[in-house]
Amino acid sequence: MSEDRTRLSPAARLTKWLVSGPPLAFLLLFFVAPSLIMVLASFRYPGEFGGLAPLIAADPGILHGFTLETYRFFFSDLIYTEIFAKSFLVALATTLICLVMAYPLALLIARSPKKSRDFMVLLVTLPFASNFLIRIYAWMILLGPQAALSLLVNGLLGVFGMAPVNLLFSPFAVLVAMVYVHLPFMVLPLYTNLEKHDPALLDAARDLGANAWQRFWRVTFPLSLPGIFSGSILVFIPVLGMFAIPDILGGTGDMLIGNLIKEQFLGTRDWPFGSTLSIMLTITVLACVWLAARLGGRRRRYA
Amino acid sequence: MRGLLLFLLLLAGNALAEDVLHLYNWNNYISEETVARFEAQCACRVVQDYYSDNEEMLAKLAAGATGYDIIVPTGNAMESLIRQKALRPLDKSRLPNLKNINPAYLNTAFDPGNQFSVPYAYTLTLIGYNVEKMHKLELPTDTWAVIFEPSYLEKVKGRITVLDSQRELMAAALKYLGYSANDTDEAHWKQARDLIIRAKPYWAAFNASSYIKELTVGNIWLVHGYSNDIFQANLDAQKADRKFSIASSIPKQGAVLSLDSMVLHKSGPRPDLALRFINYMLDGSNSAELTNLIGSGNPNLDALRYIKLEIAQNPAIFPDAQHQANLEMLRDLDRNQRRILSRMWTEIKLR
Amino acid sequence: MPDSIFNSKRKQPVGRALPDNSNRRVEPALRKTMCSDAGRRGVRLWAAALAAYAFLYLPLLIVIVYSFNDSRLNAEWVGFTWHWYDVLLHDKDMLAAAGNSLFIALVSSLIATILGTMAGIAMHRYKMKALTFMVMTPVAMPEILLGVSLLLFFIQILNLTLGMVSIILAHITFSIGFVAIVVRTSLSGMDESLFEAARDCGASPWETFRHITFPLILPSVVAGGLMAFTLSIDDFVITFFTAGVGVSTLPLRIYSMIKIAVTPEVNAVSTLLMLLTLTIIVLASRIAPNVLQWKT
Repeated sequence: MSEDRTRLSPAARLTKWLVSGPPLAFLLLFFVAPSLIMVLASFRYPGEFGGLAPLIAADPGILHGFTLETYRFFFSDLIYTEIFAKSFLVALATTLICLVMAYPLALLIARSPKKSRDFMVLLVTLPFASNFLIRIYAWMILLGPQAALSLLVNGLLGVFGMAPVNLLFSPFAVLVAMVYVHLPFMVLPLYTNLEKHDPALLDAARDLGANAWQRFWRVTFPLSLPGIFSGSILVFIPVLGMFAIPDILGGTGDMLIGNLIKEQFLGTRDWPFGSTLSIMLTITVLACVWLAARLGGRRRRYA
Repeated sequence: MRGLLLFLLLLAGNALAEDVLHLYNWNNYISEETVARFEAQCACRVVQDYYSDNEEMLAKLAAGATGYDIIVPTGNAMESLIRQKALRPLDKSRLPNLKNINPAYLNTAFDPGNQFSVPYAYTLTLIGYNVEKMHKLELPTDTWAVIFEPSYLEKVKGRITVLDSQRELMAAALKYLGYSANDTDEAHWKQARDLIIRAKPYWAAFNASSYIKELTVGNIWLVHGYSNDIFQANLDAQKADRKFSIASSIPKQGAVLSLDSMVLHKSGPRPDLALRFINYMLDGSNSAELTNLIGSGNPNLDALRYIKLEIAQNPAIFPDAQHQANLEMLRDLDRNQRRILSRMWTEIKLR
Repeated sequence: MPDSIFNSKRKQPVGRALPDNSNRRVEPALRKTMCSDAGRRGVRLWAAALAAYAFLYLPLLIVIVYSFNDSRLNAEWVGFTWHWYDVLLHDKDMLAAAGNSLFIALVSSLIATILGTMAGIAMHRYKMKALTFMVMTPVAMPEILLGVSLLLFFIQILNLTLGMVSIILAHITFSIGFVAIVVRTSLSGMDESLFEAARDCGASPWETFRHITFPLILPSVVAGGLMAFTLSIDDFVITFFTAGVGVSTLPLRIYSMIKIAVTPEVNAVSTLLMLLTLTIIVLASRIAPNVLQWKT
């Protein structure tokens, strides 16, 4: 748009504020304000019975005011940094597995005749339409101790003389479900990118003597990097904050940062610490996005 | 237009005129027949909401849930509510059936003089086990060691679950180490934590709800659980014609007694109906229905004559004097202790 | 809707611009090697893709199939029965939760569509960075952060009892972003000269909107609204934190059933819920085919 913002007529400016005003106001009130409250809450004392301690209290015996206590508590023990690292690794693993699984599918859809492409994309999107809890629950059934997969795996292990394993309530179950829930988020951006590739490039490569693998690795893959980055971000960030999957499918050690935050708010009732954890999660997410943008931007110059 | 307004007013008026009692109770902690009889008796409606954890209930109340007439918290949660001044004092003149309660359960440290609460039911947190399997493996069932000692755990690896509750599991560990379940010494907590971490690899899961099913089906042979849940598991196992039975026992080092009481929340709109309900539940026959249904302990002396014999004689549900001495009720923690416990729990889960 | 000029502004393919891939003329000999080459590669690709589709659909099919299973345990097939659907339809709590879910979804998607459309138009026309940031961030951030901050806000600042109102407000907050993205995408694919022509003909901004913009973006607005509806019905994380007691939604009921007492009733309600969202998504994809393809 070439229209210069400073040269809007009064009528146009009025329109601008009429149109953008209501959503702006709503989001200021219900998104920006809560976020600021959360930042502030991380600097307060926990309430005696849960919640937050008051900011001002007449009785000096009651804890009140601001403090760095929660941040000190966060850094006082390595365990919390450990959980962040663990969540980071789980998110990374999920992203990589999603990438490996999504790429062939996206490639196939992109190379299919135009008429069937939309339908195939719809087929990918439809499971996404089902409730996310249902998708998790489905894996509870599939990985259950009496289900076919468990019996198969344990049967095989039995052949080799090894003890039976529990597929459910394990890190394996968590990972599988994470991949399952987020796979469409990787397929769609990849497909959007791959669809735009010019087949003439591949033909040129073949003419120059490249075999199938080289054509993929030296032509298709580099061109698809922007799509890979979009998809990765769309998978990585939600997984980082996920709590429902470890909560339902996880075993004893499968506690991610999302579970810890939930526990602070709905269990221990330690709202300041929960807010601190949330702030640290936000910072981590922003750092990852910034990093990805830098890497993605640099690569794009060579495309 | 006027007709519509009139209709709406009538509708609203109707809703207001109806007597509604709001009950916030544990899952599966009251018989539907009991509720139905009360509704018929008082010509009112009982609306129930459920929670499965004291912490969940406290968190929801802290998040501003209002409108509940009666809540059924456990002792330590009730202590927290009393300190927050969230409860209405009871008008004992409206509770003639209060005399039915066993004095041993009155006048607790949480509510001296029972100003706010009336005992409802109690459960014990103890060891539940598959009788046949434990016999075959020659494992003791009267000590917490069977849950914490690797020498015993080796035989039941992957077949044992513990409660997913910070307080309960720490209490069991503290009891085993010889301390009080209400001990708040951080050094003792650290010992308990290390004990738990050492035993964790042998445990199948931290499970607060579906362990009953696993016990019934025979996948799990040993649990750290609630007495009424284990009782239910045995009933289910008998009904499904399983070749084993499930029993529970109170470890000799002691266990946690959870006394649940009925209290009036100050935001409840109908304290009159609430008091009627409490008096109704204090009647022996009504109180006994819950025990007969789920095998919960009953602090009501009058109820004893209505309770099925096999339940009344079950030492895990109605403990004898010797075991009674070892039972403890959990007290509430202050915010710093909660925070430290939370960190220890995180370490337990993660390491 | 006919392929109008407004949809013809396709993005350029990477590399050289070509009108249409399928019409390329290739030498017969080369085509033969290409085809056999492509054939071998194609089979492997097909196999991998089929595996991916199977992976996507098998778990859901199992849920549906077991909803008809005559057994309490989701372990093995015993026999066909409608029993669980019967239980479902008599489950008062579930029906109440379903009613709540539908009501919340209707109200929140309506308001989110209005606000989101306005935001989408403003983002496209006026390129407001602040608005874009505020609209996109709730979509991009992990949901738990939004849920937790709203919980804090409602309790500490507004002193609002958590219930229907808090859930609706929370749902609107995250839905606005989706609708705005959809509307903005649709607007950016349109020919600017239309709007300029309207202005040249003397139309006021409102008239331009009413007669030109709105009819053009209507399909995406409707599709965005349908998506907001689906998002609201399906939302779990944010509702979990802002629901309080007394108001339950379908996802919350499903969650407590999964955690406490799993019976095939969960399968039954899941199947019905899937059917509902499936219908809505198919409808949305018919109305605005580009909505679901993430052409941002």
